Amino acid sequence: MEAFLALLRESPSMPTAAQIAERAGYSVRSIFERFADLNALRVAAVDYQLAHAAALAPPRHVDGDRQTRIKSQVETRAGTCERGVALWRVFLYTIDESEELKLRLRIARQRTIDRFEIMYRPELSTLGDVERKHLLIVLEALTDMESWARLREFFSLSFEDACAVWIRAIDRLLPATPTGA
Amino acid sequence: MDGRRLRSERTRQLIVEAYLALVREEAPTLPTAAKVAERAGYSVRSIFERFPDIHALQVAATDHAITQVVTMAASRDGGGDRAARIRSHVNTRARASEHWLPLWRALIALQDGSAELKARVRAMRERVLSLMEHMYEPELSTLPDVPRRQTLIALEAIVDVESWARMREHFGLSFEESSAAWVQAIDRLLPPTPSP
Repeated sequence: MEAFLALLRESPSMPTAAQIAERAGYSVRSIFERFADLNALRVAAVDYQLAHAAALAPPRHVDGDRQTRIKSQVETRAGTCERGVALWRVFLYTIDESEELKLRLRIARQRTIDRFEIMYRPELSTLGDVERKHLLIVLEALTDMESWARLREFFSLSFEDACAVWIRAIDRLLPATPTGA
Repeated sequence: MDGRRLRSERTRQLIVEAYLALVREEAPTLPTAAKVAERAGYSVRSIFERFPDIHALQVAATDHAITQVVTMAASRDGGGDRAARIRSHVNTRARASEHWLPLWRALIALQDGSAELKARVRAMRERVLSLMEHMYEPELSTLPDVPRRQTLIALEAIVDVESWARMREHFGLSFEESSAAWVQAIDRLLPPTPSP
């Protein structure tokens, strides 16, 4: 799986079984003894990456002030995007081929939304249900992997400048922090 | 233009339209030359008389779509108060996203293998930025350069075609609900409108 992920980081296209085997130092046969097909390997790699992201990016500064929470959440998310965008692209281009991958996409997006709910609980608590739901959806779109890739590749922003775009936008999008929060 | 040249242009146009119709209907699968020929009612040979290869047809179809999107955007009212401008922008962008999503996805998937398609993706994104710059000039003019640029980049991310697709496909929102989510977000993101 690490060979598969390393190949993806080097080239944003789905590696062949032969390439993965060569990189891992095993035979093609030994790959298919462990994974039924390349889709099973893709699904396992996505699960591995999701677990890795959760382990590397626990929520921090949950009780901090507004600016501390926004900065913390943005930097954590940016780190996840920076590490995960190569796999994400292959994942999205092949998602129509696999119900299992579609399920993982739902899980990944839901985790991002759950994180927003934890980090911005004081601000979100001031909104009605519909407004809250719409805001969470927009925040998820704003901090999508491809949105991050666009900041870095299309707009040529540094990691810090790209974080600054998200920090400013989230601060504008969130309602005022209630007094005492 | 003489009659023969006119007919040839018309045939080219019908081939492009057949390609676009198939992209919409059969996404994410890209149409083959044989399918485009069948749909347009011509032979495969007549397609390759007008386009050297399928890539040239993809580029021509993209240019046709861009012209349509630009015409659609140009016809909207750039004036009005803040709420009217946001509504107008969202309505146009939402309709374009709804209509062109399959082609946009094909374009994104194909751009890594084609400098011409990559240039078109870049041109489209730059156009979206410049249209928003024009549309929200009163609000953006109150910001210094860096926050102004940051606001525009964030707006572009929010009104991206895939952001629209996510609301419709993943979150199951209706056209109106998705539009309302964008209106709310743009209104929050923009600074206050200066007094006239």
